[in-house]
Amino acid sequence: MVSIFTYRDERKLFAVIGTIIVAALIALIQLDAAKTGKPSPISVAVGSSTLLFERALAAAGSGVRDFGATIGQAPRLFARNAELAAQNDALRSENERLREALAASPDAQAIAAVAAREPGGIVATIVGYDPENISRSVTIDRGSQAGVKRDDGVIDSDGVVGRVTDVAPYESSVLLITDGASKVPAVVQRGRWWGIATGTNSSVRLQYVSQDAKLQAGDVVVTGEGRSFHAGLLIGRVSQIDHPEGALYQTAVVTPAVPFGRLSHVVVLPH
Amino acid sequence: MARGNVDVARTRAFWAANKPGETAAPAYAPEPPVWWHVALALFAALILQSAFAPFVAIRGASPSLVVLLVSWYAVRTGSLRGMTFGLIAGACEDAVTGSTGVSWTFATALAGALAGRLARTWLADTKLALVPGAALVTLVRYGAFALAMQLQRRPLDLPLLHFHAALWQSAVDALLALVLLALFPRLGGAGAHRR
Repeated sequence: MVSIFTYRDERKLFAVIGTIIVAALIALIQLDAAKTGKPSPISVAVGSSTLLFERALAAAGSGVRDFGATIGQAPRLFARNAELAAQNDALRSENERLREALAASPDAQAIAAVAAREPGGIVATIVGYDPENISRSVTIDRGSQAGVKRDDGVIDSDGVVGRVTDVAPYESSVLLITDGASKVPAVVQRGRWWGIATGTNSSVRLQYVSQDAKLQAGDVVVTGEGRSFHAGLLIGRVSQIDHPEGALYQTAVVTPAVPFGRLSHVVVLPH
Repeated sequence: MARGNVDVARTRAFWAANKPGETAAPAYAPEPPVWWHVALALFAALILQSAFAPFVAIRGASPSLVVLLVSWYAVRTGSLRGMTFGLIAGACEDAVTGSTGVSWTFATALAGALAGRLARTWLADTKLALVPGAALVTLVRYGAFALAMQLQRRPLDLPLLHFHAALWQSAVDALLALVLLALFPRLGGAGAHRR
């Protein structure tokens, strides 16, 4: 039988020849790359294109494995999570407690120092304010049971706070020196000039100071010897002077040494 | 909302008790509050004021929750019960303050009576009666307090400053009453029966 060339057979032949040529080219390229020691472009192209698939497959496989492992470990993880959450809460509250202790420590130490300096001083905590905010007064958590008496002086580590105006068995009211009804004998430290420190609801006014006194802004004002306080306790500093011509006395505005906005602990001085 | 016979009878009795001689019923008569709700509210008001009053002051005036509570109670129950509750609330405030004698007792009782009386006037036509009522009651109460302090020989120092504070407190209380009524409309009287 005589073999007949058809169009189909010719295509096969071309395909075979083409394949041989491409294989030869690939082989040549690979050989050339091997000879020069560089990665062949074919290897680079194939490697790069397969890398993406490999990564995707690896991620999917890992995800499936992790999912399976997670499902298997779920009960243990739930228990562990609850345990860690409880531990976290405990650590958090301890952290807050330590922070508060750190923040309160200087104040507590300062008050303890004042109490040690003043014999018989009664340390008390501010527990309330005037509900109607009419008077500048505070309530402290020590009363007659602790030895607090009416007209006792009250100080803190910065200076004079006020005096006790009302005593109950377990609490007392303290009229702050900034209240309009408060009057404390005072001395300007620099020249020993006397005056009366009266509240203005926001600060203190030093009244009845002799016209001879050479007051200056920044002068330190301390208590004079009186019913509630012994001499020398810091009231504040002169911030403004009113020296009217022809008046019998001059007055001065005194900025209190005590920061009344953040008053927390005080010491009651028994008289 | 249709009124039942009991509601009508209660409203008429309420009106007659406060306006003897007149036959017209008021626009509405709200349900009286439950006593222990009021007691709890008074306790909370005193604690809040005692703890935060200086820190929420506007130009030296702190909002008075006690005044608002007494006014609200008086508006809903009448002068007599308002005065009684004002007496109790004021006594509590005097006890907490410690240095005001019986001034708040007297002043707040008067405030309760006044608020109860105001609610029987044309103001009763609106549920917002508490707003102007609170402003007026605050001012009168402040005046009564100053008078009581004077009578007890404890005059208020810096009277001008206190007068300014009273004006501010009156405005602040009215504003707070408005806010509370807007936030909690039931305070105006959930069981109110309009004519």
